[in-house]
Amino acid sequence: MRSETKRRLKRDRQLYIMLLPVLLFFFIWHYIPMWGARIAFQDMRYIGANEWVGLKHFKMLFSSPVFFRVFMNTVTISTMKIILIFPLPIFLAFSFNELRGSIYRNALQSVIYIPHFLSWVVISGIFISLLASPDGVINQIITLFGGDPVSFMTSTRHIRWVFVFSEAWRSIGWDSILYIAAINSISQGLYDAATVDGASKFQQAMKITLPSIAPTIITMFILNLGFFMNAGFDQVFNMMNDAVINHVDIIDTYVYRVGLTKGNFSLGTAAGLFKGVIGIILILGTDKISRKISGEGVW
Amino acid sequence: MVKKKSRMSPAYIFIVISLALLAIVMIYPIYNQLVISLTGPEYIAQADGTSIIPRGITLSTYRSVLAIPKVYLGVLNSLLITSVGLMVNLVLTSMGAYVLIKKDLLGRNVFMTLIIITMIFEGGLIPDYFLMKNLHLLDSYWSVILYKAVNPYYLIILMRFFSSVPKSLFEAARVDGYSEFKILFKIVLPISLSGIATIALFYGVFHWNEYFRSMIYLTSQVKWPLQVVLRELIVSMEKAAFIGATNFLKGSGAANIDFKAIKAALIIIAILPILMFYPFVLKYFVKGRTAGAVKE
Repeated sequence: MRSETKRRLKRDRQLYIMLLPVLLFFFIWHYIPMWGARIAFQDMRYIGANEWVGLKHFKMLFSSPVFFRVFMNTVTISTMKIILIFPLPIFLAFSFNELRGSIYRNALQSVIYIPHFLSWVVISGIFISLLASPDGVINQIITLFGGDPVSFMTSTRHIRWVFVFSEAWRSIGWDSILYIAAINSISQGLYDAATVDGASKFQQAMKITLPSIAPTIITMFILNLGFFMNAGFDQVFNMMNDAVINHVDIIDTYVYRVGLTKGNFSLGTAAGLFKGVIGIILILGTDKISRKISGEGVW
Repeated sequence: MVKKKSRMSPAYIFIVISLALLAIVMIYPIYNQLVISLTGPEYIAQADGTSIIPRGITLSTYRSVLAIPKVYLGVLNSLLITSVGLMVNLVLTSMGAYVLIKKDLLGRNVFMTLIIITMIFEGGLIPDYFLMKNLHLLDSYWSVILYKAVNPYYLIILMRFFSSVPKSLFEAARVDGYSEFKILFKIVLPISLSGIATIALFYGVFHWNEYFRSMIYLTSQVKWPLQVVLRELIVSMEKAAFIGATNFLKGSGAANIDFKAIKAALIIIAILPILMFYPFVLKYFVKGRTAGAVKE
């Protein structure tokens, strides 16, 4: 057995040499920070070793009204995004499917993917220009119909809707690709048979297309749930301002502000770890659910 | 006959029109920035969100914006970080993917598990920052190049492409006495070009759009990539940055250029490379999107 192991190691030594830098990368840039996260359980000292303080920082976190608000914002924004945005790419894919064989289809499709490739810095710049200034297009339309201009970016009533809309703008085209691919793989024979049987387009969509792509829909929904705690750092970070901070501050932006800009390293790390643990529970939990429903796990 | 009838049905027309409207919603905000950036200085005050065609078309805004040292340094830094970063990404990811498709490699499952764990759990922002600090990489370009040298998702996408290389080719190469490196670089990579193109695009877009790590790791402003400069000027609109930029423009005799036009021109400069390559590389993006979503 041992000589067999040795033989394989020797045979594959070139492969191990190739893999080494990759493993080194993951070790340095992923596993060392995981070990570094222990400062959540320590007080930082500038001289000598840090002092272990157990759950002190977590207790501080959970008794802090600010953190409670941040947590609720994360949950609220994520929930709004999932409920309002998740179905849209599916509708989109169904609509594109109706255009099968038409010349508009490709052009329309490619245009709809573009926003996905823009950074949130750029998207924020565009939305601020569209929405914040009185001469942005939305306010121009509002005034055209006799309304008063709204400062969307600084309005606590509107800002979360701006988040949902800009996220939808950025992602629905890109997300629809998966459903379009799933629909394309459905056998044309099913539709032909249904047409012979006199099924309407709508009946075909409900009885053939929808059940056929249901596994894709379920997988995507589960993946979305798994990343529920990532309410969108880049978006919030770039679109946030003092007027709306209480409504949109999420755990990730809290970690940055408290941890890096204010120097409460342990508290910030504790908040990050708390988020990470919830994320893992959600991912493992949804993986279990997925195995029950579809017999397959997410991973 | 039947086909023609369904083409003309109200439902079909409704779908065509609503998709066209959606396409306008997706593209108009970007187009609007282009219009503002091209509008002549004498018309910029009247230009609003609803202008369809720029009046007094001129490139003077672009000339002035590119003359701001921060901006042209930003362009250069972004090009540098993107190109060097991309090389590192491609070499490491293809080596990793090539080794990890070997199912009989001793320890392969352990390595895969260790890599997949990093997809669902991370140490977090602050430990990352301290790591950078302890490695003395703060304010070095390497800090933003190396921290995402291998993306596990893209590694798995590339593994999928590599897996479709016919096994007989490996055997033949081994018989010819090729080393593993030679097999990877001379055989696997050339016939997996579409896979390489796919992940190169994802990595390229990532580096080009990256701003946050640059903002916290690169302490000297001369090293800032374009997105960080953009963020400072557009999103946070820090007074100092704004005044600094406009003072500079006054010095260059372009005092009458509106800040709105500066912002628009910067936005267009930041997305231009993506828009330029987009039509040619679209199919690779779509390939990667579908390959990345199919499960192992």
